Amino acid sequence: MAGLAADRRTFLKGLGVLGAATLIPGCATSTSSPGSGSSTGATGSLSLQSNLSAEQAKAAMEKLVEAYNKTGGATVKLNTVASEIYRTQLPTYLTSANPPDVYTWYAGSVADSYAKKDLLLDITSVWDTMGNYPESMKTLSTSSNGQKIFVPTSYYWWGMFYRKSNFAKWGVTPPKTWDEFIAVCKTIQSKGVPPIGIGLGDTPWVASAWFDYLNIRINGAPFHRDLLAGRGRFDDPKVKAVFTKWQEALPYFDPKGKSFPFQEATSALLGGKTGMFLIGTFFADSAPKDALDDIDFFQFPIIDPAVPVAEEAPTDGYFASKKAKDPEGVKKFLTWAATPEAQNIYVESSSGTAIPANPLGKSADTALVKKGKAMIESAKELTQFFNRDSSDALQPTADAALTKFMDKPDQIDKILKDWQAAAEKVFKA
Amino acid sequence: MTATTVEPESPPDAQPRSRSGERRPWRVSPLILAFVFVPFAVEAVWVFWPALQGFWLSLTNWDGLSAPKFVGFGNFGDMFSDPIFKTALKNTAIWLVLFGGLSVIGGFGMAMLLQKERRGVGIYRAALFTPVVFSLVVTALIWRVFYQPDGLVDSVLRGIGLESWIHPWLADPDTALYAVILPALWRQIGYVMVLYLAGLKAVDPALYEAARVDGASAWQRTRYVTIPQLKGVNSVVLSVIVIDSLRSFDIVWSMTKGGPYHSSELLSTYMYSTAFQSTQLGYASAIAVVIFILALAVILGYLIRAFREET
Repeated sequence: MAGLAADRRTFLKGLGVLGAATLIPGCATSTSSPGSGSSTGATGSLSLQSNLSAEQAKAAMEKLVEAYNKTGGATVKLNTVASEIYRTQLPTYLTSANPPDVYTWYAGSVADSYAKKDLLLDITSVWDTMGNYPESMKTLSTSSNGQKIFVPTSYYWWGMFYRKSNFAKWGVTPPKTWDEFIAVCKTIQSKGVPPIGIGLGDTPWVASAWFDYLNIRINGAPFHRDLLAGRGRFDDPKVKAVFTKWQEALPYFDPKGKSFPFQEATSALLGGKTGMFLIGTFFADSAPKDALDDIDFFQFPIIDPAVPVAEEAPTDGYFASKKAKDPEGVKKFLTWAATPEAQNIYVESSSGTAIPANPLGKSADTALVKKGKAMIESAKELTQFFNRDSSDALQPTADAALTKFMDKPDQIDKILKDWQAAAEKVFKA
Repeated sequence: MTATTVEPESPPDAQPRSRSGERRPWRVSPLILAFVFVPFAVEAVWVFWPALQGFWLSLTNWDGLSAPKFVGFGNFGDMFSDPIFKTALKNTAIWLVLFGGLSVIGGFGMAMLLQKERRGVGIYRAALFTPVVFSLVVTALIWRVFYQPDGLVDSVLRGIGLESWIHPWLADPDTALYAVILPALWRQIGYVMVLYLAGLKAVDPALYEAARVDGASAWQRTRYVTIPQLKGVNSVVLSVIVIDSLRSFDIVWSMTKGGPYHSSELLSTYMYSTAFQSTQLGYASAIAVVIFILALAVILGYLIRAFREET
């Protein structure tokens, strides 16, 4: 009996401890006050949350962190999270009581949306050391309330990628105008190959590139930006004109592309199963290096020569949580991340197609990168990408509308009406 | 011994409740109270409070960052004009009928087929049960490979001369939902079979013997002996099926993410994408409330009917 009683007491004691333990995290999270990080001292370590999960990009981030940790600043701990999960988790990270300190993310509207909620660290002092950055980068990194909130580290470009050897085999040359483009599609199709590759299976957002480019070529970048910011309507006849043009290219898309993600569409392009692929240079992160030597790209065809040429040049970099435990340590890391040395480490170790944001940074010396850089530098306007110019919340509305259009192009009017209704709901939320 | 509550003056066989006004003092041991209240406290913090909070959120517009804005039942009103919600509701009903109905029929059929102890029957039972041990995400990954362009399904169709049937199974809005139901069924049938096998084991063999003596055919024995005897198991199976149908998420999310363009959307996937992709957390909470009410209505409806039949 005594033994039993003792066991019972031990069990109850254990139960009590367990019960108390379950309540502790709740208490811990509820007592932290927002913004407390700004007053606390250095902790000696920083957490860096990264969405760069492709093998080469992840390895490059590891090298970057290793290099910083040797400089004697606070120790940076890298935590890589798969990109799609990262996207959904980011608001939770930033609003939690004990958030990670620094984040890889995107410049522009996406970063500004968090700054508007007062969740990002003001890093104006970091920008004071970044005098050589162009004005466009400065604007992109400034929130709507005038604070600097973002450190750009690299950017990349989107283009129509193709295999040089295949174009030579099929006897086609890169088109410059829309009519030339359709002619190239016809030729490639006559060789028994689907001319345009796409990967909408797990990555329906790839279709947004087509919408972005057609819209900036037909209606221009300012109209595009206004539309994505909620200052226009998706059922506007000018938007319908985008889809009418797109319809001309629809017969040339790879029908299998709606079943697989962009990584498999990359394999299809490299394997000669498709002719061209409108994609960002990040596709190279999941492509074998030797195949890249045979890869080239051309600028998205010009549709209306009167419209100033704009290009998609999404800029990547870092921002930090306002609740960072060691704001000075964070700023020190970001100051270092803005230097050409740091950006070179990343560019050299990744697939090499990203271009450093620092003008003194050294991009890869390949013809492909030089051509990409020249295209971006000669553009009259730059856009980021659908979700970066609008918001992550608006992206699913585009995914549904654009994939449905590609499947049922005869329903344009209904699709645009539904898209406008879905977008209004997002802007209202 | 604080646990004893017997009053010294009461005889051992006394029944205090039957005598008016005579009630023994209500004393419960602290140990029993602890057993009730400690789990209740834990449950209150981790289950009841979030559930109530979810209901409160369903009455607000919230983007997960700013403070929630109270909108009353506005989110529920919006559902009536939301075509995606209607598709999700319709698909959930289709899922409930097809996934639920076919797994009951399949599971019962398999249990009937494999109930007799024959040589090698264990192998068949194990083979049918094997899919249950895989997580639904793994199941989804395997089936995605089957369905992919030029995958197993297409190769088989080509092999048997049905090339014209080849289809982008998961990318076609007409086939996506059914292409996802199939692997879900493949997994669920084994589970339901085990429940029915356990039920069949509990049926008294004398009933069959008596029916056989009375000249009942195999069908009559099934109809008038087996099925009525499985009433208890049926209510368990129905509860499991309804709950599993309404919470089906992982397999759909892993295979189609509710696409293409919401054609295979269930209420659960729509709730998730609305909450975490479109960050409309108030609207997503309202969908969660609808799922809860539906589950409760279906299960309570069945239980009340079953209870009435009993009495």
